[in-house]
Amino acid sequence: MDRRNFLKVVAASATVMAVSPSLIRGNLYAADGTLYRAYEKTQLIGADGKAILASKLEKEVNYIFNYPYASTPCLLVNLPTPTQSDVELTSESGEKYIWKSGVGKDRTVVAYVAICTHQMTHPTPSDSFIMYVPEKTKTMAYDKSGIIVCSSHMSAFDVHAGAKVLGGAATQPLAAVVLEHAADDTLWAVGILGSDKFQDYFKSFKPELKQFYTGPAEAKKLVSISAKTVKLTEFSKELIQY
Amino acid sequence: MKKSLITFLLTGLLATSINAAEKDHRSMLMKDMRTMLDSMEQIQRGGLYSSPDDMKAGIKKLQGTLTSLEGDDVKWILPKDQKYAYQFAQKTASMLRLYSNDMIASIDAGRMDDALEDYNQLLKQCTSCHIRIRNW
Repeated sequence: MDRRNFLKVVAASATVMAVSPSLIRGNLYAADGTLYRAYEKTQLIGADGKAILASKLEKEVNYIFNYPYASTPCLLVNLPTPTQSDVELTSESGEKYIWKSGVGKDRTVVAYVAICTHQMTHPTPSDSFIMYVPEKTKTMAYDKSGIIVCSSHMSAFDVHAGAKVLGGAATQPLAAVVLEHAADDTLWAVGILGSDKFQDYFKSFKPELKQFYTGPAEAKKLVSISAKTVKLTEFSKELIQY
Repeated sequence: MKKSLITFLLTGLLATSINAAEKDHRSMLMKDMRTMLDSMEQIQRGGLYSSPDDMKAGIKKLQGTLTSLEGDDVKWILPKDQKYAYQFAQKTASMLRLYSNDMIASIDAGRMDDALEDYNQLLKQCTSCHIRIRNW
């Protein structure tokens, strides 16, 4: 391959990745503001097997799906107002990265890994202490609502700004699920942005994962093709919010 | 006048009994917490001296204290400003039971690394609850 052809291949690859981040594989811990890991591109579908459409998501309702592993819960919310864009965030270890924005027609659809970055509180089929608190519902965690609250130790996260920490014990944002919104209004999860705690989660909650997912191997299976998305009220028996 | 006096006396009596019940529950909690501390020390000692029997005895002692946290009694024993958080205390108790059961299974299977990891998680649950309930 001569120099000109080589440059053409590089340019074409860069264009493809810019258009569709799901084509990137592996870790991108770079000094240029990215902390991103791509996983298999996965379509969000309802319990009935039909595609979830961004425009049909109820506003301010907590939806939940497991991604990128069979046991790692993520919150999906359609916010009443557009999110911020290009928010610079900092991980616990000081790495800076950029959260682009919500998706959908008005940039109101967001998804975050629902594992609190403080002590890994997360929704289970029994209960959930972490969730989005609608604008008209009061919380003790912060002076305004319309945020994600972990009621275990009262951490508050800015749902409009990449889950930046607003208050409480957490010291870094929730990891964000990178979503793609297709032309047919369907939603796809393609990767995780930010510092995830998946390995610590698998280690710490081994007995719980045995209980709910038959064993660690099942719990660690990567989600493939589609992820069932349901309301949090259908996923957890009890929602606890302070 | 007579009616008012009776009402006053009854109210006083009721307040005293509620106060006494609360004190009873509080002292029960304090006793349970001391037992929990003893049991955690016993599990740790068992681990450091390679004594599975000591570890299991500590776990049994710990599990004996969880009933008061798992039920509705926990509403009585939390500090007044933390009463609303009783479900958090109940969740902590259920996690303590889960990890302690797993620890017994790990010891019986000879997986001591797993057992010590369970011990770490038990300790983490204790501190997590104290951070929240006792406002560390």
